[in-house]
Amino acid sequence: MTTSTSAGPKWGMAIDLERCIGCHACSVACKVENSVSLGHFRTKVYYYDFASINPYNQQPTTKRAFLPTLCMQCEDAPCLDACPNDAIARGSDGIIHIDDSACDRSRDCIKACPYGAIHIDPVAEVADKCDFCSHRLAADMEPACVEVCPADVFAFGDLNDPASPVSRFHAKHRQQVAPLKPEEKTKPLVQYRGLGGVVPRAMAHKVPKGRSHDPFSYEIDTWDQLKSQFPRPKGA
Amino acid sequence: GAQRKVKNDYRSAQRITSVCLNCSTVCGIEAFVQDGKVIKIRGNPLDPNMGSYMTCAKGQSGPTINDYPERLLYPLKRVGARGAGLWKRISWDEAYAEVAQRIKTSIDSGHPERVALHQGRSRIDAEINRFLSAIGTPVQLNHRALCSANKRAANYVSLGETDWESIDAERCKYFLNFGSNFYEAHQGGLHLVSRVVKARFDHGAKLVTFDVRLSNTAGRSDEWHQPFPGTDGAVALAMAHVIVRENEIDHDFIDKFVQPGLETIRGWLAPCTPAWAAKLSGIAAQDIERLALEFARKRPAVAAFTNRGAGAHYNGFNAERAVVMLNALVGSIARPGGYCYGLEEKLSASRYPQPQPVPPAPKIRTDLEDPPEWPLANRWQKMKVGQIVYDYLRQGRAKLDVYLSYTIASPMTWPEGRSTTVEVLMDEQLIPFHACSDIVYSEMAHYADLILPDATYLERWGMDIRNNMELTHFVTLRQPLVPPPGEARSFADVLFDIGRRLGPEQAKYFQFGSHEDFVRIQCSKLPATGPDGKQFKDGFEYMKHYGVYVDTSQPKPYEVFQKPLSGKQLDGSRVDAASGVVYRPNDKGKDSAIGLMAGGAAVRGFATPSRKFEVHAPEVTLVAKTRGFDDDGMPTFVQIPSHRKLPADRYILSTFKWNVHTQGRTASQKYLTEIVHDNPMWINVATAKKLGLKSGDMVELTTYRPQSGPADQPSLQAYRGNGEKIGSARMRVFVTRGIHPRVVAVSNSLGWISGGRAAEGRSGRRVEVAAHGIGPEAAKAFGPAPALDDLNAGVWWDKKNGGRGNGVNINALLPINPQPLVGMQSWFDTVCSLRKV
Repeated sequence: MTTSTSAGPKWGMAIDLERCIGCHACSVACKVENSVSLGHFRTKVYYYDFASINPYNQQPTTKRAFLPTLCMQCEDAPCLDACPNDAIARGSDGIIHIDDSACDRSRDCIKACPYGAIHIDPVAEVADKCDFCSHRLAADMEPACVEVCPADVFAFGDLNDPASPVSRFHAKHRQQVAPLKPEEKTKPLVQYRGLGGVVPRAMAHKVPKGRSHDPFSYEIDTWDQLKSQFPRPKGA
Repeated sequence: GAQRKVKNDYRSAQRITSVCLNCSTVCGIEAFVQDGKVIKIRGNPLDPNMGSYMTCAKGQSGPTINDYPERLLYPLKRVGARGAGLWKRISWDEAYAEVAQRIKTSIDSGHPERVALHQGRSRIDAEINRFLSAIGTPVQLNHRALCSANKRAANYVSLGETDWESIDAERCKYFLNFGSNFYEAHQGGLHLVSRVVKARFDHGAKLVTFDVRLSNTAGRSDEWHQPFPGTDGAVALAMAHVIVRENEIDHDFIDKFVQPGLETIRGWLAPCTPAWAAKLSGIAAQDIERLALEFARKRPAVAAFTNRGAGAHYNGFNAERAVVMLNALVGSIARPGGYCYGLEEKLSASRYPQPQPVPPAPKIRTDLEDPPEWPLANRWQKMKVGQIVYDYLRQGRAKLDVYLSYTIASPMTWPEGRSTTVEVLMDEQLIPFHACSDIVYSEMAHYADLILPDATYLERWGMDIRNNMELTHFVTLRQPLVPPPGEARSFADVLFDIGRRLGPEQAKYFQFGSHEDFVRIQCSKLPATGPDGKQFKDGFEYMKHYGVYVDTSQPKPYEVFQKPLSGKQLDGSRVDAASGVVYRPNDKGKDSAIGLMAGGAAVRGFATPSRKFEVHAPEVTLVAKTRGFDDDGMPTFVQIPSHRKLPADRYILSTFKWNVHTQGRTASQKYLTEIVHDNPMWINVATAKKLGLKSGDMVELTTYRPQSGPADQPSLQAYRGNGEKIGSARMRVFVTRGIHPRVVAVSNSLGWISGGRAAEGRSGRRVEVAAHGIGPEAAKAFGPAPALDDLNAGVWWDKKNGGRGNGVNINALLPINPQPLVGMQSWFDTVCSLRKV
């Protein structure tokens, strides 16, 4: 992986939603890589079925959108400000880390996160979230989700290095790249291409704010709903 | 208390190459092993189909199979009634002695053909063949008729080639997709979709999909059209009509290489107007016109292709041929960016030699592996009509002494799986002895007399090969990343061990040693010098290092039909003046077609009898005659008999596969089943409104056998085609615009009643859950309890936690329904009725 020598790397990611095929390879790669327990998520791919018009014959049709999500590594991180124990810190490489030994499971970070990115890990019993697979970066490898993607959805790398895939992506698509939930003003290092295009902006409503990802958003009947939380059905 | 998680340490982990087998796409992989555990899998970029570290979700899930808490690690012998789930642990010696004794009895009684082996996705065909040939039985049964038989048969008839096409997708400008959900399923789908994404978003290609259901492919195509089920062939013929009428064709290719000629095709297509197809399919005539011309005007870098949506129907063979024909009309066959195909993609014994001596192929045949009712099933390649196996046993069409099952879960994956399949598996008269090799307590293992704990695909050997999107010959090596735990043992080694315990006449074929030794010999003709100059002891060591060998000595077979015949090939040949076919005596002195005179030159042509691309296939007419009906040999459209005059209160039941599942072997993988575990019935909003249904309501779905056409029309007779009721089941509905108004859809792969907590959708401690399941003593073969086990409390989809449960097994409601001639299962033809409950 190329990194600039002078300043040290500042990691960033751009997600090209046009290319995404909704295959879940990134989410399963993440789960296996980080031993994420069932019902909890560092990454999650959302589905959205919506009414559209076929531009070739002007007839109504239905489209499907996919939205991969993870920790946005915000430059103005609400979780970091919310933690009462200072257990959350930003590294010089831009990655937001949770210090296992300092976390007391206050859940303030979960309540502060606009992206559902943090959960309490039931094994380690501390707050947990995506850290761009820092242990892989240390071994000169890409994050697990980036490496596995069959559709080259993720452009990742050092934002300080103009030759890195993410810098080149930004240079090529500057006008089309935007954060998820810009109204949160969190300045994420993870940016998207295709919001408001192949993925309707409203799809951001499926990503929880102030709560962890709801596993029930995998259920097929939630695909056309713009909600992030689902009541449990009565036992059938 | 809290436990610290250990991060993967890639600087100390060992990297080993192998081959994935979580589906039949068999991707080359690299694995990382740390402390005797596979911690990570990624793609092997040296595999030409891969070219990167990519995998699909199933590939990523691989490491979870090895340490699945409900894995079977010790041989079990049945102690109660068959199917009662009562077992005792036995040694491998006892297991081998029993299987060997039973097989010896069959051989000694003069009926070796009463030993059958039934496999799913084995990828050890050469090994299994050796075992059965040594015994003298031809009865190797598979599941191809449930899978891809029509697709293969259509390519054989049209091109004469014996594998899947390899669309030159990265260079393609226009994809016309009839019923393939290659974004999620489709053999080789990962290899195709990774290139289609590049073609679309880097090079501006267009993707048009025909499907009754909004698959991920349909939902992300540039256009999605919903044909009435089983009418893809009519749409393709109407497109051909437009392309020929507007003269948007490759005249030179058709003149030289297409049988019959243009004028015959034009006359045959004359009635197949867009208006005619629109009436049948519901696709607007102007869309058919527009799409046909868009496609043809981008020629030759275009591809029209299919999969089960077009093919798994009564008329699927002709539908697939009609789609393949579109490529011939516009001249995209074997052209850059077009409908390409590779050559010599088999694991041939000449290139990959087997240990000597090799047992001769058995001469006997039985109705079980070669049913005469489907003459195209075994004509070009062994495709076999697997779905009739249990029914034929019940009818007494063949007798069995020993039934060995491997990597199939037919009570789950077979039509009538929970009725006909289970009834026959339970019947000790019909199946006196059943030994099942499996890694979990599957529904197949449940009906066995002996359970032989298998190694996973990450713990065993094998050579693998498949069609290559980069159009070069290549081979991959599957090698054990870690040894199998407990007493689990790979099935190939089990067969070889049993072989050595048979009589000397059989044992002599297994003196080479282990599966590793078998594979070492298969690699013996491969080079010992790597592409980077590295030197190895032999081809086996080369393969263990790289995992892949790519033969770059031959050019890509673009326009291989134009390849001139060499002087050596022409020596002693003759040209048939009428047809232009070049014949030459083969080794047995028999005249065989080797090429074609085209534009004054002798060229290879196609590997069909006419050496042309056969739109008209005289062999189809011939074999149809043996079944008592007339077939014009053209890919003519025939409407599915049971869909004619479909009453307003009847619907057509479709099934489908998910991107995180295969039909039979992924449900026990927790991270995959967490994503998809439930399969409510898809129903169109308009239809649901009519029936007063909303999402979450329950319906009773009732299915019916296919209905044959009039008795005086022998070409319209379906298997047991009397329209009688098959069965009913209650299921939840999912109301969506993403399904044709006359179709309801329920996914396969779900609804397991065994296989462990992930598959069954049940939380709790593994031993207690097993004790309350169908195999209360299956836990006797479990290994030590894992230190961490999130299945204890983490199965959030468990109904008792307010979850949706683990779905229904829809195959239980589908009839055994092989289509005529090829015998492919007509999965998507079933007529059903619905009742709100």
